[in-house]
Amino acid sequence: MRVILKDYMAANPGVKVSLEVGGATSELTQRYLSTVLTARDASLDAFLIDIVRPAQFAAAGWTEPLDKYFGADREAVRAQYLDGYRTANTVDGRTIALPGFADAMFLYYRKDLLEKYNEAVPTTWPELARVARKILDGERDPNLQGLSFQGKAVEGAVCTFLLPYWSLGGEIVRDGKMSFDRAKAEASLKMWRQMVTDGIAKRNVSEVATDDTRKEFQAGRVVFGINWGYAWNHFQSGTGTTVAGKVGVTTLPAMPGGKTVTCGGGWSWAVSAFSRNKVETAKLVRHLTSPAVAQQLAVRASLHPAIASVYRDAEVLRTVPWFADALPIIETAHARPVTAMYRPISDALRINFNTVMAGVRTPDEALNEIEHRIKRALR
Amino acid sequence: MRHPGPRSRSWFDRIADPSEKALAWLLLTPAIVFILAIVAYPVSTLLWNSLHDVRLLTAQGARFVGTENFALVMSDGQFWRAVRNTMIIVVVTVPGALVMGLALAMLANMPFKSRGPIRLALLLPWAMPLAFVGLIFAWFFHSEYGIVNDVIQRFGGEPRIWFNSPSLTMMAICIATIWKTSSFMALILLAGLQTIPSSLYEAAEVDGASKWTQFTQITLPLLVPSMLVALIFRTLTAIQSFDIPYSMPGPGEETQTLAMYIHMNAVDYLDVGYSSALAVCMFILSMATTWIYLRYVRSDSK
Repeated sequence: MRVILKDYMAANPGVKVSLEVGGATSELTQRYLSTVLTARDASLDAFLIDIVRPAQFAAAGWTEPLDKYFGADREAVRAQYLDGYRTANTVDGRTIALPGFADAMFLYYRKDLLEKYNEAVPTTWPELARVARKILDGERDPNLQGLSFQGKAVEGAVCTFLLPYWSLGGEIVRDGKMSFDRAKAEASLKMWRQMVTDGIAKRNVSEVATDDTRKEFQAGRVVFGINWGYAWNHFQSGTGTTVAGKVGVTTLPAMPGGKTVTCGGGWSWAVSAFSRNKVETAKLVRHLTSPAVAQQLAVRASLHPAIASVYRDAEVLRTVPWFADALPIIETAHARPVTAMYRPISDALRINFNTVMAGVRTPDEALNEIEHRIKRALR
Repeated sequence: MRHPGPRSRSWFDRIADPSEKALAWLLLTPAIVFILAIVAYPVSTLLWNSLHDVRLLTAQGARFVGTENFALVMSDGQFWRAVRNTMIIVVVTVPGALVMGLALAMLANMPFKSRGPIRLALLLPWAMPLAFVGLIFAWFFHSEYGIVNDVIQRFGGEPRIWFNSPSLTMMAICIATIWKTSSFMALILLAGLQTIPSSLYEAAEVDGASKWTQFTQITLPLLVPSMLVALIFRTLTAIQSFDIPYSMPGPGEETQTLAMYIHMNAVDYLDVGYSSALAVCMFILSMATTWIYLRYVRSDSK
């Protein structure tokens, strides 16, 4: 990022960009930005926000809609991005932010083990459970887990819960109104809980956060792992990795009869509504979200572009060859609920998901509370 | 020529030489302004907010909703769980801290040669920031690196994952809170102990009363006023418990207290209306508690 900004300043004399670092996690960054922006502070011109936030920032009036700064180029600018990312950054027809880079949840699997047991890559969750069971029974390794997913009450757990729910066609919010589908949510909770009770996932999966899945997969203790794009580099060349060259990556399984979806992630650049240099800042943001910068980020930091053409770039394919496989997966990315009230909804989902995985609550009790909390958030 | 009488005096004279009543008002004004600014204004804003739908995350301004926020609070399972958790902390830690504090105060009141170091040690937990205590105890009870599980294992017990169970987490929170607040109790009780004249004990000694009888017949009854003061303060701070439970979280939100729930709605969700309604409920709870104590004090002194 510093290199990119330095190049930009060299090309645009008179513009000085300084970089400020927010929190280490999405929640902490959010807390920092909401403090600065509730106070209508003008010291930040542009900021990088999690893909789940544009609706919230737009509703709070913290961002400057970008359309008018692009003039005639407006449609051309918007058309570059993958559908999921264009949608997530558009609120009520206004361009609130532009995608800096993309991410998604992938299914990582052990190619060697699947070959050994002569199994194809599963495309549904029950199929995955069957293959995992067969491998676990065959390997007889008490340290081996069939499936590792995020059951701790972190943002990743929101995605874990929503994957089967979306696969069945469920949505949490439609046109700003609650559209909670209890039967589909119940199917999701029961499917995950069964992974635990059947011994496919480990018993204390309620303590597993995103990076735990990465570490355990890297140590060769997981057959199937659900994780974001960053895990790939660790598996191939991380310190002490035991799975280099043995890892396959594919789309996440679907529910029987459902569609294939993944949880979209990534970060977007937005211009502050309180900025005193909006024209210059909009120009900078347009640059930071351009194909050229996306290509740089892919090559230098292996961040997934939100622009389809960059996946076909020769230099990108040479440095990060697996991006060729990643594009079709990113294209199935589903956006998490686009609403100003994302935070309470996210809390309701991940906390209840976590308590069901821990066995503290039954799916029924959890669903009651989820429903109640979403209803209140969207009142 | 100056004419006596208040009406004919110049404004300068009135300020330079005010009547006694005017002087009183003049001297009270700064205090009144301060009280209005730091008590009346925030409290009335809170009440106003609690009757409105004020959510900073929506572009809409405040909307009057009457008692709707309170109706939501009453039907909110999470609120009642937070109240229950808060009450557990009150019921366990207030008597717990009283007993521990009394023991510590008696110890510090003993005729040692060097009471200084003991009194200093007594004050240490009181001087520590609450969040700091919470973090220290969170490490003590950590399932893998904590000293508590280490001790349990050395004595052949089964180590536990404390923060995976709501009841074990509550236990850990209560232990930390009692440790932290006992010294405040001890401080007030020690002051009370020192007001008891030693002649009473000497007379009891002459009459042949045992140490236990002296404790129950002299020390305890004479300590009641200081105990009440300490209990009121301690109960009110227990109702407001935030720092320690916040730094020692259990599974999900199972061990959330009322203050934590208000914080979540206000700071994380920026839902000012709803969190104000919650704060009003907490205020009512605190007022009711104080009223019960004060009633007890009055009926006692009659």
